[in-house]
Amino acid sequence: MLAKYIARRFLASVIVVLGVTVITLLLMNSTRGSYVPGIDLNPALRPEDIARLRANLGLDRPFYEWYMSWIWAVLHGDFGRSMIDGSPVMSHILDRLPNTLELTGTAIVIGVLISVPLGVIGALRRGSKTDHVLTVVSVAGFAVPQFWMGLMLILIFSVTLQQHGLPWLPSSGAFSAYAGGDILDRILHLILPATVLSFFYLSVWSRFIRSSMLEVLSQDYIRTARAKGMSERRVVYLHGLRNALIPLITLIGLELPGLVSGGLVVEVVFGWPGIGKLAFERALQYDYSTVMGVTFFATLLVIAGNLLADLLYGVLDPRIRYS
Amino acid sequence: MIGPSRVAELDVPAAGVETGAARPAQSYWNESWERLRANRVGMAAGLLIVVFALIALLAPLFSLVVTHVQPQTINLDDTFFRPGLRHLLGTDELGRDTLTRLIWGARVSLGVAFLTVAMSLSVGTTVGMVAGYYGGWIDDVLMRFVDMVLAIPAIFLFILMSILFRPNAITLAAIVASVGWGSVARLVRGEVLSVKQRDFILATRSIGAGDARLMVRHLLPNVLPVLIVAASLGVGQIILIEAALDFLGLGIQPPTPSWGNMLTNAQSYFFRSGFLVAFPGITIFITVLASNIFGNAVRDAFDPRLKS
Amino acid sequence: MTQPLLEVRDLHTVFSTKEGTVKAVDGVSFDLTPGETLGIVGESGCGKSVTALSVMRLQRPGKIVSGKVMFKGQDLTKLSEYEMREIRGREIAMIFQDPMTSLNPVFQVGWQVGEPTRLHHGWGAKKALASAVNMLSRVGIPSAESRANDYPHQFSGGMRQRAMIAMGLTTTPQVLIADEPTTALDVTIQAQILDLLRHVNREFGTATILITHNLGVVAGMCERIIVMYAGKVVESGPTKDVFAHPTHPYTWSLLRSIPRLDAEKHEPLKPIEGVPPNLADLPTGCAFHPRCVFRVDRCTRDVPALLRVGESQLAACWVTQAGGELTGA
Repeated sequence: MLAKYIARRFLASVIVVLGVTVITLLLMNSTRGSYVPGIDLNPALRPEDIARLRANLGLDRPFYEWYMSWIWAVLHGDFGRSMIDGSPVMSHILDRLPNTLELTGTAIVIGVLISVPLGVIGALRRGSKTDHVLTVVSVAGFAVPQFWMGLMLILIFSVTLQQHGLPWLPSSGAFSAYAGGDILDRILHLILPATVLSFFYLSVWSRFIRSSMLEVLSQDYIRTARAKGMSERRVVYLHGLRNALIPLITLIGLELPGLVSGGLVVEVVFGWPGIGKLAFERALQYDYSTVMGVTFFATLLVIAGNLLADLLYGVLDPRIRYS
Repeated sequence: MIGPSRVAELDVPAAGVETGAARPAQSYWNESWERLRANRVGMAAGLLIVVFALIALLAPLFSLVVTHVQPQTINLDDTFFRPGLRHLLGTDELGRDTLTRLIWGARVSLGVAFLTVAMSLSVGTTVGMVAGYYGGWIDDVLMRFVDMVLAIPAIFLFILMSILFRPNAITLAAIVASVGWGSVARLVRGEVLSVKQRDFILATRSIGAGDARLMVRHLLPNVLPVLIVAASLGVGQIILIEAALDFLGLGIQPPTPSWGNMLTNAQSYFFRSGFLVAFPGITIFITVLASNIFGNAVRDAFDPRLKS
Repeated sequence: MTQPLLEVRDLHTVFSTKEGTVKAVDGVSFDLTPGETLGIVGESGCGKSVTALSVMRLQRPGKIVSGKVMFKGQDLTKLSEYEMREIRGREIAMIFQDPMTSLNPVFQVGWQVGEPTRLHHGWGAKKALASAVNMLSRVGIPSAESRANDYPHQFSGGMRQRAMIAMGLTTTPQVLIADEPTTALDVTIQAQILDLLRHVNREFGTATILITHNLGVVAGMCERIIVMYAGKVVESGPTKDVFAHPTHPYTWSLLRSIPRLDAEKHEPLKPIEGVPPNLADLPTGCAFHPRCVFRVDRCTRDVPALLRVGESQLAACWVTQAGGELTGA
């Protein structure tokens, strides 16, 4: 049953992935000719060099042929080559991926660790001052531009503190260039970007937990738990939260695209060497093939995340049957 | 003695629940509007958006009458002015007046946001209605396509498109809308599927109405509340996306001021003036906050089912 | 006469609503003796469930404003929340109407059934599970050992109610409160669950309070019944006597609204006229008077007290207290 379900979900994902490749490659194809930036203007290039470059990039072939060879390469782990220096895109991605995972992973963990108790408090003290404050903070959290929040944090915790000769937090990169690189140094660098990234998710998830918890607490089995003589804490955190968390898993899975996208802006602001920043840097150099390779790779991550969330949901909720 | 199975129960049957009207009646709109009007915070937020939009429309007038400078007016003697009487919100590294630039920036930011919402809604509604109404393979193909578009992390797609197409305001709106329509389509399709079940659609078809007429005259009015809610909740998010793209240098290009691109170089001038960073961000924050509050109010008023 | 196990005296529980304060339980008193089965009967919204929940102090968001609930020499309404937890599930267990929703969907049935012993006796997971399996098989769940690992959704409705009953019994409580235990079940399953409750009452000696709107259930189960209307007890007495000679018009109408095999002649069934009263806006005098066919002038003015009428019954009715008979109409 489960195997069949996984197989079917996986197959559906593969179709989506194939579709995504068609969409992105068609996009690239739509601007054929103006492809290689400045190639026609560079006086050092002879016409035969240009032709050779175009051939290397597969620009002289019809779309379907180009597409098929691209897919074939992807199946072998080759996500194309940079238009700037011909280096394999995959090696850049693998270079940057650990940093992105470090940042987004931290942000997810912080987001969940803080949003769950906040959501529970909001639900338990519904209508109280605390609840109102949490609501206001969450509504504000939706409205703060992430890049601006990043800039403000840098202004306050790096620039201003530094100006006043106080201990300050690093504002750029994943570790210090010279002395750094140890775990403490990495954590110091992580604080500001992870704060920004987790803040938005915190405001989304705490609201979500709150409403999910409110619904769960009104269920009959909560009354049963109380009738058994359980402490309120056990009722809320064992019987209530276990049920309220199940939908959160799906939400996190569905928010994964947002986490990768949101990560991009934060990575740029904080000079964080992740795959988002990679795509951004290469975009400024009009390195289409790298941007596309990264986009495709991020899409794969997202689809895998959704699939994983789906399966996890089934594990956590015994009511789900794969049929 | 009487046994359990021989005894009828005491419950009085509940009065029959009235079935919902075939489509939102006139009173639905009146009631929703009344509910919205009763929400003071929501109305205040909506009013703020209208005021901002008016200021944006009248930007040239403000330049002439209030601030007396054009957004691109460079004055190298007046760089990094602090907020004060001469420049209410100070000046930037080229001595340009921040307030003037924010007012002109509103044209871009709000204009692109409204345009994006309009594009997303029209494409999304069309696709969603067609998919939901016809069902079958048309539905399958269209919705799988939506799945694909929504599976790509949006910002990567924006980056890819903005280097491919080098956007102006209108193409930027089109780029953002090229993702936004997907979720609208899903929403509309779901709504159409539920409306389609109701008897009045069958009744209308039985009197010989064609597909187009059914969709435009009968399905669309039913989908409208969902669209209104989606539109008002979407504006804030789109302002944020647009600002982020401008900030990254992938959207509206200088010297045209926009709220996002005013922050692009902010990091270089941290040590000279924190105000240059603060004001555009605060403007974006207030605008998005007001849109979200208004959007929530609209949702509560127009779609009581969704009220949390 | 045996010492009552549970004495409820003049209990008042109120809810604050937009329409004003609602007296859901308005001066209810009753006794429960060890080992007996007491039925509390009435239409939905008459306060019977809130009465039971108030005994457990689970009436939230309602508030107990006055009255006593004496259990083993202590007043439950005065206990701290902590002390009350020691009573719940250990001395007084409660099972609920809808077994579909009353079990937590994400925990295994055996784990949930064993939870009271883990909480109250401090038993380890293994011992608690073993006792849960034992109890599950005693309430008639076949192959209890393997079923204990199932989740609630894998149980049928009747099985879930059996599991609920097993969960109530693991700590061998002295009182079991069953709030509409059969309402959500199929008719055939209802009879099985009632049999089980009867069996439990006999085998474990657990005093049972059975709350129901179904007179037939009470007839087969309970020695004594209490009839509630609009938050008040309107009649109480031995089930046999109440069925034979109802002394409150509401009980009388209830009995006439159900088919009976023991009726002397085949009278047509008569539903009760009118609707249950709005608790936020009760009529003056006796709350039942607008629907009462025996009403006299006084009923619209004064609220009758619950007084002895006949040999063994109590009734709150001006007519029968004055010696009037409930016949005809």
